[in-house]
Amino acid sequence: MNTNMARGAAGLLLLAAVAACGGQQDGTSGGKTEITVSGMPPSTQPESQKNFLAQVAEFEKANPTIKVKPTETQYDVKTFAARLAAGQLETVFRVPLTDPQAMIKRGQVADLTAEMKLLSKSDFDKRILAPSSTPDGKIYGLPTEAYAAGLVYNRDLFTKAGLDPDKPPATWDELRAAAKTISDKTGVPGFGMHATANTGGWMLTTMTYSYGGRMEKEEGGKFVPAFDDAPTKSALDLLKAMRWEDKSMGTQHLRNQDDLLRDFASGKVAMMMGAPNLYGSYVAKFNGKPEVYGQSTLPSGSGKGTLLGGTVAVVSPKATPEQRQAAVKWIDALYLRPKYDAALATQRAEKKKADGLVAAVPQLPFFAPAVSDPVMAAEKAASNVDWDHFTSYNEGVKAQEFISEPPVAGQELYAALDTVVQAVLTRQDADPAAEITKAVEKVKPILDRSQQ
Amino acid sequence: MTALAEKAGADAAVTTPRPARRRKTRHPYAVASALFLAPMVLVFAVFSWWPIIQSALLAFQRTNLVEAASWVGWQNFANLFADPLLVKAALNTLWFTVLALLFGFPVPVFLAVVMSELRKGGGLFRVLVYLPVAVPPVVAIMMWKFFYNSDYGLLNGLLGLIGLGPFPWLQDTAWAMPSLVLEATWAGAGGTVLIYIAALTSVPRELYEAAESDGASIWRRVWHITLPQLRGVLLLMLLLQVIGTFQIFTEPFVMTDGGPEDATVTVLLLIYRYAFVYGDYGLAGALSVLLAVVLGVLSAVYLRMTKAWSTT
Repeated sequence: MNTNMARGAAGLLLLAAVAACGGQQDGTSGGKTEITVSGMPPSTQPESQKNFLAQVAEFEKANPTIKVKPTETQYDVKTFAARLAAGQLETVFRVPLTDPQAMIKRGQVADLTAEMKLLSKSDFDKRILAPSSTPDGKIYGLPTEAYAAGLVYNRDLFTKAGLDPDKPPATWDELRAAAKTISDKTGVPGFGMHATANTGGWMLTTMTYSYGGRMEKEEGGKFVPAFDDAPTKSALDLLKAMRWEDKSMGTQHLRNQDDLLRDFASGKVAMMMGAPNLYGSYVAKFNGKPEVYGQSTLPSGSGKGTLLGGTVAVVSPKATPEQRQAAVKWIDALYLRPKYDAALATQRAEKKKADGLVAAVPQLPFFAPAVSDPVMAAEKAASNVDWDHFTSYNEGVKAQEFISEPPVAGQELYAALDTVVQAVLTRQDADPAAEITKAVEKVKPILDRSQQ
Repeated sequence: MTALAEKAGADAAVTTPRPARRRKTRHPYAVASALFLAPMVLVFAVFSWWPIIQSALLAFQRTNLVEAASWVGWQNFANLFADPLLVKAALNTLWFTVLALLFGFPVPVFLAVVMSELRKGGGLFRVLVYLPVAVPPVVAIMMWKFFYNSDYGLLNGLLGLIGLGPFPWLQDTAWAMPSLVLEATWAGAGGTVLIYIAALTSVPRELYEAAESDGASIWRRVWHITLPQLRGVLLLMLLLQVIGTFQIFTEPFVMTDGGPEDATVTVLLLIYRYAFVYGDYGLAGALSVLLAVVLGVLSAVYLRMTKAWSTT
């Protein structure tokens, strides 16, 4: 009986606690549709937070039937699942372009196709919408930032090595030569390659695209590995030659993007692959000198392809239809309007500038040139970033083909390819072709499993 | 409540007199202790037992955490055994355990014995040895990551001064795991040393005095008195260390992310990737269950094998 009582007490308390946690949510509050939105700047950045709250107030005024509850949460893959399961996920949150396809497949984001008609402008550049759409035309997310993977380089080290900082390498052969020159003349590794936390596979994919290759292909209604061919091998051969023949990549290789950017910002690496969105972290997080930062397009191999990156706003699968509509209106007002309304673009950039933040880094346009060109001109005029250091990027992307992430199990594929990149960079006798074959064997069961 | 309890006691007394007397005396305390215990039981239930049960169930389910999970039988285990990285991760974890036992187990014993022999400055050494434990693990690991940097790291810089190296540390498949063990030993030794020192104080001084008067050397005193006297603690620490090293995660996660070439992918890192990078919670659950079973079996076998030896 004693034990029973203890059990009973514990059981009741447990039930009470669970009941308290699992309150009913129908998405309405005082007759208004209530949505939660992530991404409010933290209270440690009072000015940015004030700006954000002003935008919330403005939105609520324009949409009196919607109540917006902002949170400081940023998307984090480690906490996403737990927050989703616990019903704590915001109605609107932003994810990097690496993630939407897997989330769509798992049913963890809402289908927004029906709500697209609520947008003021919906003639998107199709390449920008592709990463958050499915082949049958359904749309699951809207772009908030878009970049094409390119080349980031240290203008100062280019000058010191006798190279022209306004003429960054346009092909991989030119990049190899530049890296060797910089390494020989300055002692600083000419090129750094991503290699851990799936970024090695991510950037090997980018290189493969630039050589005209793809990572996965459809065969008999199923996706299978497609990197067992010349483009990926060319990319690995290049890395191997730079690492072991030219010795232009240093000896430290197990780095993710942040590690590499830290080394780049402190002048310990002269070039790395990366898009203009790195500029913010380069300046704010790693104290890099703005005048040294150079941005170009991805060097080309035998193709014009590059990987599309950025962030996309998605909606919780638990949102009600009314909440989905409100969410799309919010995304339009906050993220899309500054991309088609030049006056608003200027106003946003001026505010950021006044707060001492990085304002208006060049991005890819979301819409056709007729809409986007005036916006880009306005951003350039109001920016505190030297757009001249992005000239070859802004010009170069016009001729590039933007390719999305591999459609199935992208992260698992990248993890398997991390190993390949690491082998080539850390083991002199590693054979790129053999490493690719090993990776194909690893990836096959993963793709099978993901398509069960 | 008390009246109710007394009545229950009286009822019981009619049928079974002897146990009833025991119940009668225990009852009031039992109710109170149940109430006192309830918050703790609740916390354990909610934050330990419930998640454990849930994750064991997950091993047999497929879920996206939005809709109700579907039962898939042994499918997750089949997928798990089809992953070529599983064997690699298991072998890596074993390799870490072996290395950690080779280096990490004797070092604290040695330090504790030496420090207990010190006549002066014991407190200072204890603080110095314990300091690494006070550094937050991730900070310590990040620090070592900088030390190990093969382009501009501290270790290669210092060793270069005496004409050694440069060594690849984390950049080579053969070096990476021993490098992780070195950091883990540095970080973990302090706590274990304190436990051994505490255990050493319980060894009767007369034993040492008798040995000394018989002319025993320090080495003989350690071998014949200290180690046998410590064997209970030593065995417990060995088991804890084996369980701990099987769960090695933070070091490879922060320092190498499993590289180079999967040389430091451990079982826990694989579980983490399955769940939080690939979003396959069922697969992560399956591997967790497998790890728990292996550790359970290991502990049982170990305790059985050493039962006779460990009782002093």
